[in-house]
Amino acid sequence: MTGPGPALLEVRDLAQHFGGLKAVDSVNLSIHEGEIVSVIGPNGAGKTTFFNVLTGVYPGTRGDILFEGRPIRGLPSHDIVARGVARTFQNIRLFSCMTALENVMVGRHSRTSQFLLGPLLRTRAYREEESAVESLAKEFLDFVGLRALGNELAKNLPYGAQRKLEVARALASEPKLLILDEPTAGMNQTECSDLVALARRVRERGVTVLLIEHQMRVVMDISDRVFVFDYGVKIAEGKPRQVVADARVIEAYLGREGA
Amino acid sequence: MLAQQILNALTLGAIYSLIALGYTLVYGILAMINFAHSEVLMLGAFTALGLATFAPAAFGSGPSALAAMFVAGMAAAGLVNVVVERFAYRPLRAVSRLAPLISAIGVSIVLQNGVFLWISTQSLSFPRPVVIGQISLFGASVSSLQLVILGAALGLMGLLHFFVESTKMGKAMRACADDISTAGLMGIDADRVIAVTFFVGGALGGAAGVLYGMNYGSIKYNLGFLPGAKAFTAAVLGGIGNIRGAVLGGFILGLLEVLACGYIPDGAQWRDVIAFTVLIVVLLVRPSGLLGEKMAEKV
Amino acid sequence: MKKLLGSRWALGAALAAAAAFPFLAQAVEQPYLVRVAGVIGLFMILGLGLNFTLGYAGLFDLGFISFYAIGAYTTAIAMRAHVPAPLAIVLAVAITLAMRALLGLTILRLRGDYLAVVTMGFGEIARLVINNLDSLTNGPKGMQVRPWRPLACISPDPNVQYYLLILAGVSLAVVASRRIESSRVGRAWVAIREDEVAARLSGIPVREYKLLAFTLSAAFAGLAGALFALWEQFVTPESFVFWESVLVVSIVVLGGMGSIAGVLLGALILVGLPPLMQWTLSAEWINYRYLFFGLILVLATLFRPQGLLPSARRESELSS
Repeated sequence: MTGPGPALLEVRDLAQHFGGLKAVDSVNLSIHEGEIVSVIGPNGAGKTTFFNVLTGVYPGTRGDILFEGRPIRGLPSHDIVARGVARTFQNIRLFSCMTALENVMVGRHSRTSQFLLGPLLRTRAYREEESAVESLAKEFLDFVGLRALGNELAKNLPYGAQRKLEVARALASEPKLLILDEPTAGMNQTECSDLVALARRVRERGVTVLLIEHQMRVVMDISDRVFVFDYGVKIAEGKPRQVVADARVIEAYLGREGA
Repeated sequence: MLAQQILNALTLGAIYSLIALGYTLVYGILAMINFAHSEVLMLGAFTALGLATFAPAAFGSGPSALAAMFVAGMAAAGLVNVVVERFAYRPLRAVSRLAPLISAIGVSIVLQNGVFLWISTQSLSFPRPVVIGQISLFGASVSSLQLVILGAALGLMGLLHFFVESTKMGKAMRACADDISTAGLMGIDADRVIAVTFFVGGALGGAAGVLYGMNYGSIKYNLGFLPGAKAFTAAVLGGIGNIRGAVLGGFILGLLEVLACGYIPDGAQWRDVIAFTVLIVVLLVRPSGLLGEKMAEKV
Repeated sequence: MKKLLGSRWALGAALAAAAAFPFLAQAVEQPYLVRVAGVIGLFMILGLGLNFTLGYAGLFDLGFISFYAIGAYTTAIAMRAHVPAPLAIVLAVAITLAMRALLGLTILRLRGDYLAVVTMGFGEIARLVINNLDSLTNGPKGMQVRPWRPLACISPDPNVQYYLLILAGVSLAVVASRRIESSRVGRAWVAIREDEVAARLSGIPVREYKLLAFTLSAAFAGLAGALFALWEQFVTPESFVFWESVLVVSIVVLGGMGSIAGVLLGALILVGLPPLMQWTLSAEWINYRYLFFGLILVLATLFRPQGLLPSARRESELSS
């Protein structure tokens, strides 16, 4: 397999079945450090289910997921986060009654350790950690361009800002792999290109990016490589230009959406 | 002896089931524990007693008296439940899940103390308009009163089944239980359906109150609490929100109690411990109750 | 900073007033009020305890009073075994915590109202076991507790002594609640309450954090139970009926879930109201006090459904 670095994520024969429904079946793929990779496919192709198995929301029925060479399939989500995989959601899932800053501070959870005694006794270590978390969270807000909105409740933020806040919250866990589930859904042109630029800057920080994307323009623009899913199976992969020329891909899209 | 035990279990189970149905009907639609349901059933019993005391002429005797007691008890309990819903729960419906519960606790206190203050602080004896005797059944001698109780309870459950499955209102209730906002969009008047649900649930509770009074021969202002708590447990055991589950849970609980009393040394003392332990164990194995549906999370 | 200073001053003043209260009550010859205030304090501690489970973790518990019972009975049994009283208190808290953790480990996978009914079941089981295990608990007759008179240097009146101890307990509970609430752990709880899936995928071990909130509640219940047993010098299963659990839930919900000030106010009103009415109502109305209590509960909920003093966050959660 070609790529700019060693495999960060390797998926072997992965399946997630729900009763008789094979939502994801026999998926093999690998993602290399520093890539931006898109997953595309018609609605119901199993993309989000695939992400859910990667992040421990579903346990998976069969197969392996190796992250940095170590198996992570079936681990609890918070363990997977601690190992360096963070994600956003198709339908925004912020902590809506926390401020933007607090949302990002929560994202820092797996990289901090103060428990009960620290806060109870107001120890020095606790106070230092809290102020470090806060200043780091501000940096991440700054990074996604939300510095000025830190004290707003998440639910009061405009839609595009909410998407960015999800990215900031995910980044706060210092992931090696950032998974974005339809980051541009419902966005206008400007917001879209904002997000594309943000994904690039995330990659510049050394974070590998895996995203589900529906807008082909964005996919073509941003992706190093593309995986195509249909009926839970990966039917094609390659450079964006190769993939859009692939007969099976055209059929998957036009065969159904043209009907 | 065994036949009598089984009948005891069925009688108790039938009463629990009727009460449990009241909890489960309301829960099915509003996902709310109607804490005041135990007082509603107590009021049903007191209304029937009131009828027997103050209108003995209209009351008559025998089966007609029995019918009159049921109608009065059920109507009163149903109406009280509707009024309580209208004034104490409906304003809170959209606010939060726990606010109606606290309001219900308040209503429960008010109703109980109302009866305590204005009717009686003591146990009152409850009329039994049927001749109580022993009847031979399958070679065993059993109490006729219990057969009446069991028959009445099963009859009401049959009626409820018919109502929910075959009438237009019953279908509307099921639609609301499925998804109340969609039902609203389909043109179903949710407020009306909820009111009817409270009436039906209350009426079943009222019937259970009358049966309870007949079974024990006396009633008191706080009679509702214990069977109420047990029946709620039964509803959860069966899978709260599920009508068949409530009936199943009620009978299981009745059976457990009677078996515990009859066959375990000091069983009466440990009866409730056994019942609650079974509940906990069942829920640990089946977290949504015996017949409850599994809840799924969507990401 | 100014605001913080202001609230510090206000807190200090409130604490000073509360500490002076029993002496004032004695001065105006209403020693009965000291007892009432002591009971209110115990329920403040209980309410702050349940607030962890109900307010912070959003878990519905209808059997909380059983842990008050476990705290009280542990103390009574330890005192019978001639354990020094302070150690008995520590023991009560430790055992209550351990029992609560065990219960949590078994039942916390249940959701919502299923959890409520199971905790109710546990509450009844605990009470009945205490009632039936004569050899350990002396059954329904109750247990005498060897007298312990702390703070005798301040006042000879045991009611005043225990009032002051309870006041210290309330202060401890408030400080602990505030500190944990504003820490990383408190943030995790809010996150879980708002969106469990998102919390998990932000790196929070949700199950462990729920168990933590559930378990921590018991430390408060154990402390309150120990103080109760030592103060009353007598424990009986009748003090720990289901109704008392309902009362604690009402305190938290009526006051404002997740709001420390709300819980304090809720306990003050709901526990203080019946004796206050008994004290003020004329003889012909005195029997109506529980009726009024119920009415007030309904009306207060109707007019302030999010609680009397809701936390700012809760208020915004409820309005969204």
